[in-house]
Amino acid sequence: MNILETRGLTHDFEGLKVITGVDLQVAEGERHAIIGPNGAGKTTLFNLITGTYTPKGGKVIFKNKDVTGARPHQMVRLGMGRSFQITSTFSRLTAFQNIRMAVLSKRGIRFNIFRFVDKMDDVTRETDEILKRINLDGERNIPASGLSYGKSRSLEISMALATDPEVVMLDEPTAGMSVDETHYAVGLIQRLTEGKTMVIIEHDMDVVFSLADRITVLHHGEILASGAPGEIRKNPKVKEAYLGEMEI
Amino acid sequence: MNKGFKWILWGILIVVLIVYPRLFGIYYTNILVEFGIFALYAISVNLLLGYTGLLTFGHAIFFGVGGYSTALALTHIQGLPLLASLLIGFLSAVLFALILCPMVVRLSGTAFAMLHLAFGLLMYVVTLKLRGITGGEDGIGGFPIPPFSIPGIVSIDMTDPLMFYYFAMIVLVICISFLWFFTKTPFGQIMVGIRDNADRIDYVGFKVSHSKALIYIFAGGFAGVAGSIFALFQNLVSADEFSVLNSFAPIMIIMVGGIASFFGPIFGAGIFALIAELTSRYTERVELVMGLILILVIMYAPMGFLGLVNMARARFFNKEGAS
Ligand SMILES: Nc1ncnc2c1ncn2[C@@H]1O[C@H](COP(=O)(O)OP(=O)(O)OP(=O)(O)O)[C@@H](O)[C@H]1O
Ligand SMILES: [Mg+2]
Repeated sequence: MNILETRGLTHDFEGLKVITGVDLQVAEGERHAIIGPNGAGKTTLFNLITGTYTPKGGKVIFKNKDVTGARPHQMVRLGMGRSFQITSTFSRLTAFQNIRMAVLSKRGIRFNIFRFVDKMDDVTRETDEILKRINLDGERNIPASGLSYGKSRSLEISMALATDPEVVMLDEPTAGMSVDETHYAVGLIQRLTEGKTMVIIEHDMDVVFSLADRITVLHHGEILASGAPGEIRKNPKVKEAYLGEMEI
Repeated sequence: MNKGFKWILWGILIVVLIVYPRLFGIYYTNILVEFGIFALYAISVNLLLGYTGLLTFGHAIFFGVGGYSTALALTHIQGLPLLASLLIGFLSAVLFALILCPMVVRLSGTAFAMLHLAFGLLMYVVTLKLRGITGGEDGIGGFPIPPFSIPGIVSIDMTDPLMFYYFAMIVLVICISFLWFFTKTPFGQIMVGIRDNADRIDYVGFKVSHSKALIYIFAGGFAGVAGSIFALFQNLVSADEFSVLNSFAPIMIIMVGGIASFFGPIFGAGIFALIAELTSRYTERVELVMGLILILVIMYAPMGFLGLVNMARARFFNKEGAS
């Protein structure tokens, strides 16, 4: 069963056509990679699915519900998490407070003005557990802006997962990482997304092949091919689009 | 800081507030009341500015609405109890905030600031024009100040400055404590999250506009309380309360006291009260001195007085650690 689908999705920015009829299909439990050259429209596709923009045409179906035009917070509450290509954490809040924000949301604690947040022991415990799992317990009280690049990326990814979503959308989680950091991040993503549906935009083909069981290739706002990693590797159209751009 | 120490501090504060009028006399007691009013007012603005990252050039709207509605209520409703008049000030400001909410919650940055400047000017002009209701340039004065009374138990005359001081301080301390608590709740975390990265707040699952609305209502309502107490204190309200200067005053207080802390505005209000008192002995141009101080703060201590204190503390402890 498909947990996430787009049907004939289109979008343009003041006439610049960026997404032109995308039918994306993501099955439940799948680890789905979206690849494509720079400017192919991958991030825009994420923005249309997660509610950043309302698509100009087509539909987004999530868990058999038409969610076209839903706002980001609604998508989160429906069970979709998202991380960003460019780190987007709460820079002046500590690592702990960053994760706690997501934990509060997950527990539906929104307009609570009746309790000290620091005294919510179960929230604190859950947040600390997450910090430990992502190896950030040593940086618990450091502001996000003071974290090393690798750690701030870990935080970025973990915030998308701390709301415990069913589907998690990761936009180039390893962007800008060193080889070691990438290696670590892949392990982290594997651990954290176990049992979840994952859609990941990724340039690094090693990462794609180690994480994904299905790949969609986006090119000029269109799906060029979609299939198992082995098929994509052999696909002549894909090879042509990537000519000289990427080693597959 | 441990718990016992905190209680001792509270104890000291309360004792100081109680004996203060006896030590300093009624003139300085009235200065303290005014300081307290502006501390609450500035704190309410700092909920928006320091916590949520929203700069407003028109918060005097709520201060003024609080003051005018209390004054109007006392003028027109005979036998209105004191606390009810205060509550009317609060609720009117809340109502005003509710009305403005749909327009302002989607805005931030310059648009938010300027829209409030426009609303503030509008209120100022309307207040001057609606002479029949607001008294125009004369404002509303001489309305009855009811006693603080619990029927059958006590009735305390509020025209006695000493008694009014105690009443005002109790209300102000309660309001300020409440707002402090407000910033420490889960919702307080959402506020600072909006300031840091409003876009991400959406992707964590909170609705930014609703959250902003709630903050706005609190910030408006408590500025209303400040205005309401100010009206009772002066037994007068005038269009000046809606003036641009009265919108900028809390911003200056926050800048001078320290934007990054809940208590910054309290220190800022204290510093301003002190400077106003000292300079008024030598010159009429109090604003000139205030302006100069603001320039110095912005140039050399952008985190305000509490920022300086924290820096000094860090330096002191570092030295201690090194030796
Ligand atoms: N908000 C916007 N306004 C105007 N044009 C935009 C906007 N966002 C993206 N674009 C354009 O849309 C196209 C697709 O951008 P998008 O960010 O989706 O690509 P991408 O596949 O994520 O690329 P990359 O691999 O570099 O991240 C680009 O040409 C980009 O310049
Ligand atoms: Mg992108």
